[in-house]
Amino acid sequence: MAIGHRALEIAGLPGPGRLARVREWWEQEHVFGYGLIVPALALLTGLVAYPFGMAIYFSLSDYWVGSPGGFVGLHNYREILGNETFRQTVQNSFVFTAIALTLKAVLGVWLALLLARRVRFKRLIRGAVLLPWVIPTALSTLGWWWMFDSLYSVVNWTAIRLGILAAPGPNWLGQSAYAMAAVITVNVWRGLPFFAITTLAGLVSIPREFHEAAEVDGAGPWARFRYVTLPLLKPVLAVVILFSTIFTFSDFNIVYVLTRGGPVNTTHLFATLAYQVGLNGGNLGQGAAISLFLFPLLGAVVFFQLRYIRRE
Amino acid sequence: MPDTSRRAFLRVASGATAGMASWVALGRAPAFAQKRELTFFSWNHFVPASDDELRKQAEAFSKLANCTVRVDTVAHLQMPAKLAAEAQSQSGHDMFRSAGADPFLYENQLANIDDVVEKVGKQGGGWYSFAAEMMRTKSGWKGVPWFWVSFPGTYNMAHFKKAGLEHPKTWDELLHHGKLLKKQGNPVGIPISHCSDAHSTYWSVAWSFGAKVIEADGKTPAVNSDKTERVVEWYKELYKDAMEPEVLSWDDAGNNRFILSGKGSWIHNPVSPYNAALANKQPIADDINHHNSPAGPAGAHSAPPILGMSIWKFSKNIELAKEFIQFLFRKENFDAWIVASNAFNHPPLKNLADHPIWARNPKFAMLPKEAEFAHPRGWPAKPSDAVQRIDDNYILADMVAKAVNGMPTRRAMAWAEEQVANALKGQLKVG
Repeated sequence: MAIGHRALEIAGLPGPGRLARVREWWEQEHVFGYGLIVPALALLTGLVAYPFGMAIYFSLSDYWVGSPGGFVGLHNYREILGNETFRQTVQNSFVFTAIALTLKAVLGVWLALLLARRVRFKRLIRGAVLLPWVIPTALSTLGWWWMFDSLYSVVNWTAIRLGILAAPGPNWLGQSAYAMAAVITVNVWRGLPFFAITTLAGLVSIPREFHEAAEVDGAGPWARFRYVTLPLLKPVLAVVILFSTIFTFSDFNIVYVLTRGGPVNTTHLFATLAYQVGLNGGNLGQGAAISLFLFPLLGAVVFFQLRYIRRE
Repeated sequence: MPDTSRRAFLRVASGATAGMASWVALGRAPAFAQKRELTFFSWNHFVPASDDELRKQAEAFSKLANCTVRVDTVAHLQMPAKLAAEAQSQSGHDMFRSAGADPFLYENQLANIDDVVEKVGKQGGGWYSFAAEMMRTKSGWKGVPWFWVSFPGTYNMAHFKKAGLEHPKTWDELLHHGKLLKKQGNPVGIPISHCSDAHSTYWSVAWSFGAKVIEADGKTPAVNSDKTERVVEWYKELYKDAMEPEVLSWDDAGNNRFILSGKGSWIHNPVSPYNAALANKQPIADDINHHNSPAGPAGAHSAPPILGMSIWKFSKNIELAKEFIQFLFRKENFDAWIVASNAFNHPPLKNLADHPIWARNPKFAMLPKEAEFAHPRGWPAKPSDAVQRIDDNYILADMVAKAVNGMPTRRAMAWAEEQVANALKGQLKVG
């Protein structure tokens, strides 16, 4: 802490220069603290809050690309609710998120448990597991798209050669259930590393003593997982699930590259439909309404989950 | 790294900073950058040599007009979003390749270029009306028709010969032949999916059966009709007996891959598969041939993609862009560009259409005839942003997809009617 100039005066020493006074002001905790936050705050305001505010404004007005329209209240929301494609999209999003999230949670914890073991090449394996998360999605999804291609599907080719499937095999991207399965598969493939690595971090922070104590008490591997690992992992899991829910709901790349929402809109998610209506169709107002539709619900989920985490 | 280079770097860097500071202070670009720059935003052409020729001509124009011309190209599916962003931010390129109903969607945002369009049109013997309609809005010409893409039948002659068949002249014949060809192991293919080829074919088939999507007034849905029912029933039979489920997952290149793989016997598509086979020296090029789009009870009709060039109102180089357009339409330039595309780019001007490239190659000879029965999408209604939304939301492809997946035809049509009504309801206000 700098010595205040009052102290200097009392001591009969010469008062500080202008620069020193500025410095002193700057070094006060409440000023300096906020000063440090300002850059982050500016970024958040410019890149998150402002677009978000604009999106809300768009969704409440009859706004077309390049031509602003008047305020129409909740008209856009009523309009999309009446549209079958939108209702289909709501259903798709919930099915997609529920299945993908469950798979990611179960497989992710499992993978984390495997990764936590002492094995050779541990670092290498952990690094490799992260790959799907690291590669740009648009690129890796193109690879998947080719694997699901109707003529050249390597998945079908292999399965047929192995005698698992009868030729010609499923038409992955052309039939609703298969297309949904394909989109979910790629999403799980991509999201799993995030889940596993974050869970792993939680896993290694559990003190070994608890496991040893449980073992002494005669707990088997399942009981140790159920009564020691899982309860201690809960806070981490809650955060990961929260993040993953949001990521999964708002997925865009995978669907856009694989199916463009088809067949018959059965794989459209909020983001892809909003893109189709808002940017391709030029109806920014409705597009914004579609993408904001889930905001209140997701907001509530975040609120309660964060409260739960804090209480833990 | 030796110490001196760091010092050298600092010297250069500080020099550059000082230099930039002086530009900022002067408020204008330095002398060497003062040349006017014209920027043109276009698609990655399906025949890449066409873009090479375009860039070559842009280079020639830049020397002539003492400016620089930059041609930026992206995948066609990315263009709408980028254009929306440019319109929204009122900045970006000077001119762009307009497609579909862009001139109507951006009617408020585009410069009127009546003078250029009329001049070029007069020199070239007049515009085909179907091409002109796509660029001429109520408030004037919002783009110049640049080229259109014929959408003929493309077939594998070897497969047809093996089955003892001639190419189909009508859609009903296609159904008949397709059944035999599928049994032979060579199905036909029309996409029923979220891609633009799916629309091009649907409009064409529907018109041939006398069906409409919207009434001529441009305000009333007309998709739910007995004639559409016939169209959908035709699609259902074709899907079941002459095609394979893969058509439900195709993108715009799906049918190209299908015919080039040697499996498919017939597709409805521009000449790009043939051109690709030629360029890659694939032997299948010899087997591929084209024929005019099939006819139906109401005659032959075609819905070719029609492309134009439009200039943003916010551009500071509107006059220069107009000069560039006139330059591209000079006969020698336009001819060179047609040759580069190997007959893919069709001129919207009648006088430019008799280029020898079509007459010389018997596989191309019938292509210019497609212009005689071409219409803009939405016909008999005028083109509009609402028509574009019908395509953008894949309503027609989805109606057919629902029906071939088991939804009763009447219900699928009722669904489409509701969707078309939605698309019409949100008409863009102009003015």
